[in-house]
Amino acid sequence: MSATGWLGYQWNVNIVGRTFLRVQRWQVEQRVGGPARWKSEYLTPPLTISPRAKELVARHWLEARYANLHRKVAWVTSGAPVELLKALDFFVIYPENHAAICGTARVAVEISSEAEDAGYSRDICSYARTDFGSMLSGKTPVGKLPKPDLLLACTNICQTVLFWYRVLARHFNVPLILIDTPFVYYDEAPEYAVQFVKRQLEEAIPTLERVAGRSLDERKLREVGRLSRMASQLWMEVMERNDHRPAPITAFDQFTQMAPIVEMRGDAATVDLYAAMLKEVDERIARGIGAVKNERKRLLWDNLPIWYRLRYLAEFLGEHGIAIVASTYTNAWGELATMIDPEQPFESMARTYTYPILNRGTGHKLATMKRMIEAYHLDGVILHSDRSCKPYSIGQMDQRDRLIRDCSVPALLLEADHNDSRCYSEEQVANRLAAFVEMLR
Amino acid sequence: MLSGIPHRTETIRAYKDRGGLVAAVLPIHYPRALLRAFDILPVEVWGPPKVEASYGAAHLQPYVCSIVRNALSFLQTGGLDGVDVIVVPHACDSLQGLGSILIDFIRPRQPVIPLYLPRGRRESDTAFFADEFRSMYRRLEEVTHCSPTNSELMESIRREEATDKLLAQLHQRSSCLALTQMEFYRLVRAREYLTAETFSELAQVALSQTIEAPKNGTPILLSGIVPEPMSVFESIAEMGGLVVADDLACCGRRLYPPGESEDAFYHMAESILHAPPDPTRGTPIQERRDYLLRLIAASGARGVAFYDVKFCEPELYDLPDLRIELQEAGIPSVGIEVDLNDPLSHQALTRIEAFLEMIA
Amino acid sequence: MTRDERRMTVSRGVCALGIDVGSTTVKIVAVDAGGDLAWHFLEQADPRVEDQVARLLDRARKETSQTSEVWDVPLVATGYGRKLVRQAGRQVTEITCHARGVYRELAHGGTLVDIGGQDSKVIGISPKGDVVDFSMNDKCAAGTGRFLENTASRMGVPLDRMGQVALAASDEVSISSTCTVFAESEVISLIAHGVAVESILRGLHRSLIRRIVAMIRTVGLVPPLMLSGGVVQNQAIPRMLEQETGEKVVLPSYPQLMGAYGAALIALEMRV
Repeated sequence: MSATGWLGYQWNVNIVGRTFLRVQRWQVEQRVGGPARWKSEYLTPPLTISPRAKELVARHWLEARYANLHRKVAWVTSGAPVELLKALDFFVIYPENHAAICGTARVAVEISSEAEDAGYSRDICSYARTDFGSMLSGKTPVGKLPKPDLLLACTNICQTVLFWYRVLARHFNVPLILIDTPFVYYDEAPEYAVQFVKRQLEEAIPTLERVAGRSLDERKLREVGRLSRMASQLWMEVMERNDHRPAPITAFDQFTQMAPIVEMRGDAATVDLYAAMLKEVDERIARGIGAVKNERKRLLWDNLPIWYRLRYLAEFLGEHGIAIVASTYTNAWGELATMIDPEQPFESMARTYTYPILNRGTGHKLATMKRMIEAYHLDGVILHSDRSCKPYSIGQMDQRDRLIRDCSVPALLLEADHNDSRCYSEEQVANRLAAFVEMLR
Repeated sequence: MLSGIPHRTETIRAYKDRGGLVAAVLPIHYPRALLRAFDILPVEVWGPPKVEASYGAAHLQPYVCSIVRNALSFLQTGGLDGVDVIVVPHACDSLQGLGSILIDFIRPRQPVIPLYLPRGRRESDTAFFADEFRSMYRRLEEVTHCSPTNSELMESIRREEATDKLLAQLHQRSSCLALTQMEFYRLVRAREYLTAETFSELAQVALSQTIEAPKNGTPILLSGIVPEPMSVFESIAEMGGLVVADDLACCGRRLYPPGESEDAFYHMAESILHAPPDPTRGTPIQERRDYLLRLIAASGARGVAFYDVKFCEPELYDLPDLRIELQEAGIPSVGIEVDLNDPLSHQALTRIEAFLEMIA
Repeated sequence: MTRDERRMTVSRGVCALGIDVGSTTVKIVAVDAGGDLAWHFLEQADPRVEDQVARLLDRARKETSQTSEVWDVPLVATGYGRKLVRQAGRQVTEITCHARGVYRELAHGGTLVDIGGQDSKVIGISPKGDVVDFSMNDKCAAGTGRFLENTASRMGVPLDRMGQVALAASDEVSISSTCTVFAESEVISLIAHGVAVESILRGLHRSLIRRIVAMIRTVGLVPPLMLSGGVVQNQAIPRMLEQETGEKVVLPSYPQLMGAYGAALIALEMRV
């Protein structure tokens, strides 16, 4: 790292950038409190902590702009054992999260088209196409993405990440570390599979250290593990508070607030943020405030969100007094919290990263959904049949049938895509939702 | 001309009559030798085409490829008659999902044995794969109440390796054999269900029947997953094309080299993990390019036809970069997508034909 | 060229024939020894291809003043129904034929875009006239003339006025549906909401053009950008294509005949 690089980073990020973001947040906070600004008559205004959360995320992207100047950068998959990278002081970027931002900002189609023009099929994951499009064209709503010095792909969310990251590896010509987590078809992963993951983690260290330019500090790893577990536990508690009626926040709020737990897990600021969020959620519960003003029915959302239609879906359902209070997707980042053991980092990381819901059988996901219906007192389920996400979507047809049969709740299979609005038919979705809402009466 | 390749049904019946068992095996990579050591005949399920697809469609969304959807339809409409065990290797998200819903929801009478495929070629991958095979061994023990010894396993392995050697020779010499394109592929694909012994016999006969003059036709390399419908070979021949090299998942990508270890499980793992480059096994794009260029140079192919089943993600990610790299090396290519349930469309045929005209 | 003019030039003798059996129209072209266009004819495609081809060959013979019974002129067939033309000495795909025809007429390489009724193609042609790459949109109607036909007809706009109406629009509505069927519902919904027909039509053209441009990018745009196919008669198409690509679009004199012309040129080579 050069001295000018370090100076440039300090100036742009810590002095100018952060101040600017702080001012921005203050301005928004002043405005958000007032009821006049909030337009929806069915939905409670967002959490007052939202500007702070946005600031945290914005700061992350601000740092990203200048990261290449003075830090080593790693691009990783959302289920990656990020603790190792954080302990080695990598600046971590999640292309999936960036793609989701593009989806929410409604620029994903434009950016994906760059990839499609270059020959990438529209039958591949819309996150990957968004990422390739951004990589090829430089287009991004976050200013500038830093180039990776290292790529790390963990197959616990799907197999296609490996195909995706191989393309990135070729394009950026940097090392690609594979953490292959064998799929858990039954209730438990065989011990040799967990040991295989552990071994891969251990054997990745030399390459990680070489690229990072430093040795792994066990103490730092423990600390990061501890912070990671704390943040995950707090996040889990925030979600679990939704068993109250009315639910203090909706799954849509969770989708918006989940960025830090995914991409800044292991940071102290993330722990603070979710602690504060939990406090505000408890205040809402104490005052009987529900995210949906006249909560009548409560639903579970399965699969990824439809990033470019969050507002529409929240309002359409809110208008009918329907709150989506839980989702298997946001749950994924909380339910493994108990497995992280800072004292046994490699052993516990191997388990934590083998057991995410997407790495487990379709029967397990059904059992999870049933448990959530029970725990959150739910009246129905929306299963988003996400064209781009086969590991999440395959099995939904059978899961839906069994939810209807065994839990006696209506369950809707909604065909769309998490990031590609061209796979979303307004008319069809509106029709199906309307019919489903009628079934909930 | 090759006569008398035994059909699937008669092969299965004959094997069962002798007291053996039958395994329905989904794509792609799995340890044949392990199954045979338990006197189980592996019969592979690649689709097949022309099944009543609505059965599969009741469980799998339309964006799941037709190989997987047809497989489910097939298993549910009589495909499991006479089958004693189902093996579902892991190759992609769709096969992962199929294995899972078979175990959790469909619950056929037959035991379902999933098999994870490691995506690297590190020592840790080989060790894990060996452990997966040991786990599979234990499941097969339960099914058959047999426990083959290491030397029995090694014997089965050697038999398969000898057959695979003949298979490799068939591919190398395909242009000089007295077989039409279609006959050649019928033969090599018979490895999907024949015993190693029977296949070896047929292979030896085919290898002994060579032709004087090399075959005519615009030479191409065929890459992809599975060549269905098989009539594509007749069409290619009619258009003046000739497949001189093969990079198909069901054929050329499964030319397994012999393993080295004395431990049967480790040996089988080594063998599969050192098979030719394969996107489902995590091979980097550059390696795939180098391999294809070597194949092209050795066979004289003038272009590559990527023949894929629609929605096949392992194939789709690599294609753009692979095609650019091939183009830069002076090798044009064409991409064709098919659905197993549709006859080869006019459009697909026109693409192949236009491509052959272009490189002629 | 009038029919009389055509008849007069035929005195040099028809040396080869090309027939393009498309899904919407069938085109037949005769060339002279020098490879120039000597005679042509076009009509709606009849599902009974063989009968239609026989009739057209008869007409060709009569109109080019051939008197002898045995007509020894080589024939090459191209297009969707090419395999059904028994009389053809050879069948060649539309890709090769279009490239050949356009190259002969415009005398340079570049990027050829052919938008047909049921499919569209982009063909990269080398300076020497060889096909170096091609891309086809043949899986669905959304990138073809059919897309416009279907939706325009729902709006009550005659096909031959589509282009004018679209170009006359002062603004444009974006059509998000990629599927022709869904696009129709979207259009109906827009009309119900009072959106102007011209704006919708322009948006539909934009969708089609964008799809074409995406195909062009796959092949790589090497200027000049050339256009062929029946849909090209819709003036909005070349105009909007120029807008989207920033490239001037070059049209041959008979855009719809390029396939048959190229086939005839290939047939001419067979004579040698």
